[in-house]
Amino acid sequence: MTLVPITYKGGIYQHDIIIDLIEDLGGYIVQKHVIAAEVVLQCFVPRDDIALIRQITKPLFGEVTDSPLVGTEIAIVSMSLEIHHLPHPSCDIAEYVRRIGAKSNMVSLARGPGKRIAGLNDEERDVINEHDIAVYLLGNFETCIEYKMPTLRRGIDVPIVVCGGPDKEILKKIINPPVEGYVGNVGRFMHRTKESDELEKLDEVIAEITRVLEKKREAISKDPLSVSPARLMDLIKEHVPAIHEVTSPTPLTVQMTGLRVKLPYDTFAADMRNIEIEDGITLGDVCDVVPSRMRDYILLKILPFSETNTVI
Amino acid sequence: MLAIEYFEVECPEPSGAAYYKQITNVVLLDHNLLRVIHKLHVYIDPKVPIFIAVGILKKITTRVRVGDFANVNPLEGKITLVISDETYLAPMLKIFWQKFGKDHVEQPDRFTVILYDIRVDPQELEDIIVADPSESLYNDLIYAFRLIAPEGFRIRSEIFSNEKFSFVASENPLPENINAIIRDKFALMGEVP
Repeated sequence: MTLVPITYKGGIYQHDIIIDLIEDLGGYIVQKHVIAAEVVLQCFVPRDDIALIRQITKPLFGEVTDSPLVGTEIAIVSMSLEIHHLPHPSCDIAEYVRRIGAKSNMVSLARGPGKRIAGLNDEERDVINEHDIAVYLLGNFETCIEYKMPTLRRGIDVPIVVCGGPDKEILKKIINPPVEGYVGNVGRFMHRTKESDELEKLDEVIAEITRVLEKKREAISKDPLSVSPARLMDLIKEHVPAIHEVTSPTPLTVQMTGLRVKLPYDTFAADMRNIEIEDGITLGDVCDVVPSRMRDYILLKILPFSETNTVI
Repeated sequence: MLAIEYFEVECPEPSGAAYYKQITNVVLLDHNLLRVIHKLHVYIDPKVPIFIAVGILKKITTRVRVGDFANVNPLEGKITLVISDETYLAPMLKIFWQKFGKDHVEQPDRFTVILYDIRVDPQELEDIIVADPSESLYNDLIYAFRLIAPEGFRIRSEIFSNEKFSFVASENPLPENINAIIRDKFALMGEVP
C-alpha cells in the first residue's frame, strides 16, 4: 500500500466523517487546522483510495488536492535575522512552502552575512542536518555566493536548494561541487512579493523543492523505511499522553525519514524506546532515538529495511 | 516614480546593479527620503568588497509652526487653540510651559489647549516654531543607507555636511585612497565633494 500526501479542504460540518474515513482506509492525518468554519487536513492516504475519498467528500463540497510537501520538514536558511533579509524574502518563502503542506523552520545563521566573514557553526550545521532539505537564501552578487558557499555548506548532508540573485545558469556555474537544486533571480529584495512575476518566482522555488524531494523519495523507496513516520506519529499519540499537553503548533513533526517529538529527551526518551509497535518489535528496534539540537526535543531517525530486516 | 535628478548604481555585475537600484529605491521610498535627495550615486564592488553612496541633498525648510496644525482663537482674555494634528502637540506644550508658565496653560482634552492671562499677539503665537524634522534627517539617511548596504559591511565612514554626503561601508578596513574614490564618484555626478 503506497501512501500519498494530500490536502483536504472543506467545511467544518461533518468533517469527522472524513477523518474516520481516512483512518479506516489506513491513512494518517499529519496536521489538522480549523480556521473559522473551514477545516484543512494534511494527510497521507492510500493511492488507490483517493477516488473514493473524492466521491465521499463531494456532497460536503470538500476539495482534495495533491500536496507533495506534506510530511516534510524544510529548513529555510537565512543569512541573518537582520532587516536586510527579513521579512522579505525569507518569510515570504517560508510561508509559501507552508501553504502547500510543508513544515518550514527558519534557520538564521549567527555569522551568515558578508563575504569573507561568513561562517557556519556546529549547532547551525546540526540543526540544518535534522531537516529533509535546506533552502539557502543567498544575496545578489555572484562573487559573494561563489566565495561563501563552500563555507556555508561544510558538513551539510541534506539536499540543498540555492536561491540567489544571479541567473540559474550562473549559479550552476559558480557552485562547485554542484548542489541538488538552483533557483535564480531570487536574491535579496526589500519589498513584499505580490506582483504576479514575483509569485511565479515563488512557485519556481516550490517546484524546485518538490523536484529535489521527489528524488529523495525515490532514493528512499529503493531501501524502504522499517516503519512509516506517520504510523509512529499515531503510535506516540496513543502511548505518550504528555504529547497532548504540548502547546507547539505541531507537537509531532513528521519528516520524510523520521519524526521530531517536542518533549524533553531526558524524561521521555527511555519510555519511548520501549513502545511496542507490533509483534514484540519496539520503537527502539526500528529507529534511533536521539536528542535533537533544537531545544531539548527528541528526534526519531527511522532505520531502513537493510539495517533492521523488518518492515512493519 | 523617481523625483531624483541623478540616480545611478554602479557595479561590475550588471544584475547586481539592477537589484541594488531597486533596493535603494524601495528603502528610500519607504523612509520618505526620496524628496530630500537631489542626486545619488551608489557604487558597489563585491570583489573588494566595498559599498559607496555619494549624493547631494535638496534644501528643504520644513519647520513646523503652531499655525500649521492649530487654530488660534483669542476670546475674552484667553486664547483657545484647536489642534488638528497631534504629532507636534507635546513639543508645543513644552514650549508654552517654558514661555508662559504651567499656570497659564491648560489642556482640557486631546484637541484643545487654552492659554489664560497672557499678553501675546495671536499672529506671534502662530509663528512659534515647534519642531524641525530636518534635524533628524542625517540620522534617517544613515539608517537608510545601513539598510541598503549589503549586510556584514560593518566598517563604515559617513560624512554628512549641509548639502553633500558620502557613506562608505566594507567588511575589511577601508582602502587608503578612499577619499580619491569618493571624489571620483562625485565627479561622475558633475559635483565636487
